[in-house]
Amino acid sequence: MKIIIQSLSAIYQSPSILSFWLLRLWLGFRALLTGIEKFSGYKIVQEPLLDETGNPDITGAIVEVKYKFYALANYHGLPEALSANFKKEPLLHPFLLNAYATVLGPLLLLTGGCLLLGLFTRLSLYVMGLLYISLTFGLIMINQNDGIAALAVHVGLCAYALHLSVHNKLEIVR
Amino acid sequence: MKQANFGSLLTRRDFMARSALLGAGTLLTSSWAFGETQTKPIAAASSNDIQIAIVGVGAQGRILMDALLQIPNIRVRAVCDIWDYARKYAVNKLKQAGMEATGYIDIEEMLQKEKLDAVVIATPDFWHAPHTNLCLKAGLHVYCEKMMSNTVEGARSMVRTMRETGKLLQIGHQRRSNPRYMHSLFNLIQKGNLLGKMTCASAQWNRAVAEDVGFPKAYEIPAATLSRFGFKDMHQFRNWRWFRDLSGGPISDLGAHQIDIFNWYFGVRPKSLMASGGTDYYQGREHYDNVMVVYEYPLAHGTARAFYQVQTTTSSGGGYFELFNGDQGSLQISENPRLTKVYRETTAPSWEPLVEKHYLAKSAYVAPSAEKVDSRESKPPEGFEIPVVLNKKLHQPHLENFFDVVRGKGQLTCAADHAFESEASIFPVNAAVEARKVIDLTPEMFAV
Repeated sequence: MKIIIQSLSAIYQSPSILSFWLLRLWLGFRALLTGIEKFSGYKIVQEPLLDETGNPDITGAIVEVKYKFYALANYHGLPEALSANFKKEPLLHPFLLNAYATVLGPLLLLTGGCLLLGLFTRLSLYVMGLLYISLTFGLIMINQNDGIAALAVHVGLCAYALHLSVHNKLEIVR
Repeated sequence: MKQANFGSLLTRRDFMARSALLGAGTLLTSSWAFGETQTKPIAAASSNDIQIAIVGVGAQGRILMDALLQIPNIRVRAVCDIWDYARKYAVNKLKQAGMEATGYIDIEEMLQKEKLDAVVIATPDFWHAPHTNLCLKAGLHVYCEKMMSNTVEGARSMVRTMRETGKLLQIGHQRRSNPRYMHSLFNLIQKGNLLGKMTCASAQWNRAVAEDVGFPKAYEIPAATLSRFGFKDMHQFRNWRWFRDLSGGPISDLGAHQIDIFNWYFGVRPKSLMASGGTDYYQGREHYDNVMVVYEYPLAHGTARAFYQVQTTTSSGGGYFELFNGDQGSLQISENPRLTKVYRETTAPSWEPLVEKHYLAKSAYVAPSAEKVDSRESKPPEGFEIPVVLNKKLHQPHLENFFDVVRGKGQLTCAADHAFESEASIFPVNAAVEARKVIDLTPEMFAV
């Protein structure tokens, strides 16, 4: 018990460790949840409209209700609008675009998951940074400056996390 | 809701007795059907079946027939139409659906020979009152297309006969049974007070230019038959909607549906109307091809004005819809769900609770840029959808309501006395156009 308290106290005394954990958590969840969202979709279900008492409404109306759900079949690597814009770009070959869209979601899931679990932490951070750079390349092509700026912040966070990774104390494989 | 006297509704015993007669009746009547003999066994009849006839199987009659065929336990035993072409189509279509219907030219002969519970009438407007009165007096329940008649007296006679006979008379203002219209009125406007104080309304039916309809030469109706049934010639028979003695013209053909919604949603009779119109485009048509009318409705908080226009020379401008405006929101509704939308004024309370209850749905509608072009502009309202869907033919719920009441369940959504309340304010429109002056709608005009 005393050892645990001493360890926690040491961690608390080290801003570098705490900083790395914050970055690791943020970057991990950011990538993991973005990856998961790529498997989301909506289904429209028809069901009876209910009145205040929970019984079918007197009008007998049937309403269409939109529900969000997750499935492998829903996978979309790139949002439709973004994908349509990329397809118009001569420097982005359709074959490469499709291949990129196919691996983007799994890579986000993998790097985010690994980072949170502490598996191949530095490699995960590096690959994650490269992913954000690759996305930046696409956004430069279609002139989306806001998105480029946001990605630059992501790359910066990855780089800083790599820099701080020597202070990491909770990982399975460095 | 006021209701006709349903004292003589069919009971199960009536159905069984009539079904027993039906067996013999069918054998007797099938040989009268202009050579259309029974070649296929009739699909098993049930004691719960309602035996009906369709009178008038032109364009509208076919639409009703298609809807009828979706409703269980409805047996179409006869069709009546003076045109061979339409009648044979209907008989064949019914045969495909497993019903042996006998075709008739003469409705009186049909009533004499057939054992029926109800009729669906979709003849030209000037025949509605004679046919409906005849059928009601013959002891049948009647579903009759709108307009009730080409004259206010004809319409009034229908209400009187309904009351005298105690039979049901449903008028084909089918929006009154449409779940989206019912939901909008009962849940959004009345219960939810979504629009706040309703201050005005507008509605329109804009239709593109359409030429007169023709006919296959081989199916021309003999002149004597046309004359017997009130038509000058085949052209007039096919284009009766444009003739003053036969119909009310576009304001009644198209406008009646939508002006009925003004009356239904406002819940009061209009107190006056003024109108303008003319036969400005089509040559040789008797009725006005465009009409604009303004009604005044005395609501509890003040007068609400309702503008209606029917245009037969353009389909632009949004097609057909009714729009109700209040100080809290606006509702645009149409039989076409894509033309239905609800808008919340920025000063109104949040509608999120209604979205959670599925009374409304978030809209993909994007308000115009908040940047004002003119400093007097209001903030754009927030758009919502009405998520109610109708997975049936458009006229089916209204017919189902009629047959439900025939079976003793519920109330008619548009009994003739209610329809008359509405239509009494439509009959004077053409006269107002002609007179070029405001017409006060007095209580006597709505009296039966």
